Amino acid sequence: CHTSGMLTPNGKEYAQKIPREELTHLILKLLQAWKEPLSHFNQHIEHHQELPDDSLSKAKQISNMVHELKTGVEKVTEKARFLMYNSLNGMASSEGTGLSISNEANMMSDSDFIHCFRRDSNKVQSYLKILKCRIMPENSC
Amino acid sequence: MKQGFISSFQIILQLALTTAGLTGQSYPGKPTIVRCRSLEKETFSCWWKPGSDGGLPTNYTLFYSKDSEEKIYECPDYQASGPNSCYFDKNHTNPWRTYIITVMATNEIGSNSSDPQYVDVTSIVQPDAPVNLSLETKTSANITYLWAKWSPPPLADVSSNSHVYHYDLRLKPEEKEEWETISVGVQTHYKVTGLHAGVKYVVQVRCILDIGEWSEWSSERHIQIPSGESPPEKPTIIKCRSPEKETFTCWWKPGSDGGHPTNHTLLYSKEGEEKVYECPDYKTAGPNSCYFDKKHTSFWTIYNITVRATNEMGSNVSDPHYVDVTYIVQPDPPVNITLELKKSVNRKPYLVLTWSPPPLADVRSGWLTLEYELRLKPEEGEEWETIFVGQQTQCKMFSLNPGKRYIVQIHCKPDHHGSWSEWSPEMYIQIPTDFRVKDMVVWIIVGVLSSLICLIMSWTMILKGYRMMAFILPPVPGPKIKGIDTHLLETGKSEELLSALGCHGFPPTSDCEELLIEYLEVEDSEDQQLMPSHDTPSKNKKMIPKETDSDSGRGSCDSPSLLSEKCRESRAHPLALQTQDVRAVQENTGAKRSWETQCIASEQKALLFNSESAKSSTWPAAQLPNNHLPMFAYHSTVEAHNIVLSTTNVNVSPVLVGNEEKHQSQYPITETVHDNMEKQREMEISKTDQTTVQVKQNRHSDKPPFLNPKLMDYVEVHKVRQDEEPTVLLKHKENTGKTEKYTVPGTSKEYTKVSTVVNHNILVLMPDSRIQHTPVSQEPAMETSHNLQQGQAEKNMSYCLTAPSNCKRETSGSEYMDPSSFMPSFK
Repeated sequence: CHTSGMLTPNGKEYAQKIPREELTHLILKLLQAWKEPLSHFNQHIEHHQELPDDSLSKAKQISNMVHELKTGVEKVTEKARFLMYNSLNGMASSEGTGLSISNEANMMSDSDFIHCFRRDSNKVQSYLKILKCRIMPENSC
Repeated sequence: MKQGFISSFQIILQLALTTAGLTGQSYPGKPTIVRCRSLEKETFSCWWKPGSDGGLPTNYTLFYSKDSEEKIYECPDYQASGPNSCYFDKNHTNPWRTYIITVMATNEIGSNSSDPQYVDVTSIVQPDAPVNLSLETKTSANITYLWAKWSPPPLADVSSNSHVYHYDLRLKPEEKEEWETISVGVQTHYKVTGLHAGVKYVVQVRCILDIGEWSEWSSERHIQIPSGESPPEKPTIIKCRSPEKETFTCWWKPGSDGGHPTNHTLLYSKEGEEKVYECPDYKTAGPNSCYFDKKHTSFWTIYNITVRATNEMGSNVSDPHYVDVTYIVQPDPPVNITLELKKSVNRKPYLVLTWSPPPLADVRSGWLTLEYELRLKPEEGEEWETIFVGQQTQCKMFSLNPGKRYIVQIHCKPDHHGSWSEWSPEMYIQIPTDFRVKDMVVWIIVGVLSSLICLIMSWTMILKGYRMMAFILPPVPGPKIKGIDTHLLETGKSEELLSALGCHGFPPTSDCEELLIEYLEVEDSEDQQLMPSHDTPSKNKKMIPKETDSDSGRGSCDSPSLLSEKCRESRAHPLALQTQDVRAVQENTGAKRSWETQCIASEQKALLFNSESAKSSTWPAAQLPNNHLPMFAYHSTVEAHNIVLSTTNVNVSPVLVGNEEKHQSQYPITETVHDNMEKQREMEISKTDQTTVQVKQNRHSDKPPFLNPKLMDYVEVHKVRQDEEPTVLLKHKENTGKTEKYTVPGTSKEYTKVSTVVNHNILVLMPDSRIQHTPVSQEPAMETSHNLQQGQAEKNMSYCLTAPSNCKRETSGSEYMDPSSFMPSFK
C-alpha cells in the first residue's frame, strides 16, 4: 500500500500512548493520502463496463465520505485547537509527499487498491474511536 | 426342384422384405423384456428393450395381469425408472401374486408384442449396494486395525425403515486378484485385523435382504496400511481467532503420524518482513494450538502461518494460512445478564434485560466496539425470535405473555470485520401472571350475584308465574265505565246496556256529586248576555267561532228541541232519552266516546245558561239533581255548587254558576229553561259542559291539553236557536273569532274544543275526552254536552257528546267505550 510508509501505531497500547494531537494529525494525514487515489480510482473504474452500476455509485459515495470525514475531523480539531501551527505546516508539506504517494497508488492493481483502502479506513476508524473515547468518555465508551 | 422352389421363394420373400425395408416402413419389431427388479419387495420396475421401430415413431405400452385373472392392466408409471421402463409402486405391487407382463410396440402400420414374462416379486428382489464406505486405520500396541464403515442403500421411500440388510465385506491387496470375503451381519461397520503393514488394500461391501439376491458390490475404497515408518501426514490449520482484538490463537489438526510420535511446530512471518518466527506459546490455548500474546500481535499486517509436523521419518508442512488480526475478531459472549421486571404505567409488566460486554473486550477505550443481538423464545416454542439491539447493553421487552417461561440468549460481534460470538448460556424467564386479587374478587362477586338473581327469578317465576306475567304484560284493560257490563255489550243487549248506561247505576253517587259540586263551573252574570232566543248576534257575541276542531265531532250539542223533547221524555223515559242520546251520540260522527258516558248519561243538551234566567225554553234543562250532576272531573276552581241555572227561574239552585271571571272559560251558557229539569239539564249540561270543561281541565290537572284551568273561557251562548237546528250560538267572549283552540295548552284561553263549526255560527265543542268515569249525573236526561255543543245542527245531535278522544289531540287513552260501536241497534 502506498501508505505503508507512514508510521502508524499498530496496536492498542501504541495508539493510546500517542498524544491526541498526534493521533489527529495521523488521521488527517491518512485521509489526505487517500483523496487523490480515490478520485483517480473512480475515474478508472468508470471505464469498466462489467462492473455493476451500484459499484460505481458506491465508489463515488466512498470518496465523498472520505472527503467529508476529513473536513469534519479538521473542523473538530480546529475547535479543540489540537492542531498546532507546526502541525498545520506539517500538513501542508505532506501535500507534496501525498502527490508522489498517489502516483504510487495509481500503479496498484484494483484489488490491492481496495485491500489497502479497506485497511486504512479501518485504521482511521479505530483511531477515531480511541480519540472519541478519550475526549468524551461518557458516550458509550 | 423343391429346393429350388423353396430357395426362390426365400429369395422372393427376402426381396419383399428388403423392399419393405427399403421403403423403411413396417410394423415394429418385437420388444423384449430385459429385466424386472424390486429394490425392497414393495415396489418393482421392469425394463424392456425395443425391437426395430419399423421406421416410424413407435409407442410402447406395457400390459400386465395378475395370476390367472383375466383382467389386463396397463403400466402405472412409465417415467419413474427411466426410458423403456415401467415402475410399479406400492399400491400396484403385490408380493404374493405372479405378474404376467407383456410389452407391445405400436406404430402406424401395426403392432408387435413381446413374449409374456412371468414375474414373481419375491424372486426379483435385489437391493442397491451400500454407500458411504469409509476406511480408517488405527494403530495401537503396534497392531494396526482397519475400521470400515458404510451406510445401507438409500431408498426412495424413506419411511420403510424396517428393512434388515445383511452385509458382506471383501478386501484384497491392490495387486492381488483374490478377494477375501467376510460376512459382517446386520451391522454397518467392521474391524478388520490381520493386515499387512505397508500394503495398500481395496475394500468393498454388499448387502442382501431376507429374500432375494445380493446387491452389487459397492464402489471400491483403497487404504494404505501404515507401515510404521513414514513421515507424518500434512497437518491442516483449522482457524485463528482473536477474542478481544489484542491477542489471537491458531489451531491446527495433525494428519496421521506415520507410526511415530510427531512434533508440530508453528511458524509465521509478517507481511513485509522476511523473518520467520515460531509460535511463542503452544500451551495456553490447549493442544494443537498457538497463542499470540499482545506483544506478538500486530494489527493491519498480514501473518503467514504454517505448521510443520515432524517425526523420525521426516516432516511435512501444512499449507500457509494468511491472517490479518483485525478481521478475525470473535468476542466471548456477553456476561452478567440480569433480568428485571418492571411495571409500566398501566400495570403491564415489562422485562428489562441488561448485560455486560465480555470481560476481555476493551470497550471503554473505544478500541473494540461491540454490537449485541438477543434471541428469545417461549420454553415450548420452536423458533427463536432474534432482536438486534445494537451497541446498547440493555433491552426492554414488552410483549411477553404473562405466566409463560421464556428462554433468552445474547451474543455480540465487533461492529466491523468480525464474527458473532457464541450465544450466552440460556437464561430462563418466568413472567409472573398479572393476577390481581381485586379482579378475581370482583368476578367472584359478580358470579355469585348473578347466580343468586337467577335463582330468585326462577323461583318467583315458578311460584308466581302467572302474576309475574300479569305484571310484565299487563292485560289490556277493558272499558271502565262503571256500571257497564262488558258482557252486556258483547252480547249486544242494548236495552240492558242502556239501562246500565243510563239511569240506574250510572249516575254516579255521592262522590260524583261532590265532584260535580266542586267542579261545577258557573258562569258569571256577565256571561249572561247571551240571549238565547232573541238576541241578535249583534250583541257582542261572537258567535261561536267558526273554526272547528279538527277532530271534532262528536259532542254535538243537542238540538234544543230535541233536547227538550228528550228532556220531557227523558224523565219518563230516561232510557229513551238515553237511547236518543245514544243515538245522537252515535250519530255524531265518531263521537269520541270518552264522554259517552257523561254525554249519554246526561242528556246534556248544550245548555248554556247564564246567570240570568235564560229562557231557552226549548232547552231542556238539564236536570240537576244534586247528585246527578255529571261527573266530570272538575278541577276547576269553580267551586262547584249545584249546578245552578243562572236563571233565577230555576228552582233548582242553579248549580251552574256563572263562571267566575277568573275562569273565564268560554262557556256557553244557556239560559236555563223553565223547567227544573230543563234547567237542571241545562245546568247539568252546562255544568257538564263546565264539568266537561272542567273535567278536561281537571283531568289534566297538570297540563290540560288545551285548557288552562285558570283560563277557562266560556263561550257564552249567544243565542239559541230552536228552529231547524237547535244550535246554540255562542258568544265568544273574548276572542273574536278565535275559537277554542285547544291545542294550545296553557296558553289559550280556550276551554273546550270545538269539534265542528256548523253554519258558521255554531260551534260544536268537544270536551276533553279524558273524562273518564265522571259519571254523568244519573240524570237520565243527561246528555253530555260539551259546553256548548252547538248542536251540530243536526237533529241527531241530541246530545253533546263529549268528544273524547279525537278531540284531544293528545293522548286520549280512551278508556271509554264507544257506544256507537255497539249502538247500531239504536239507529
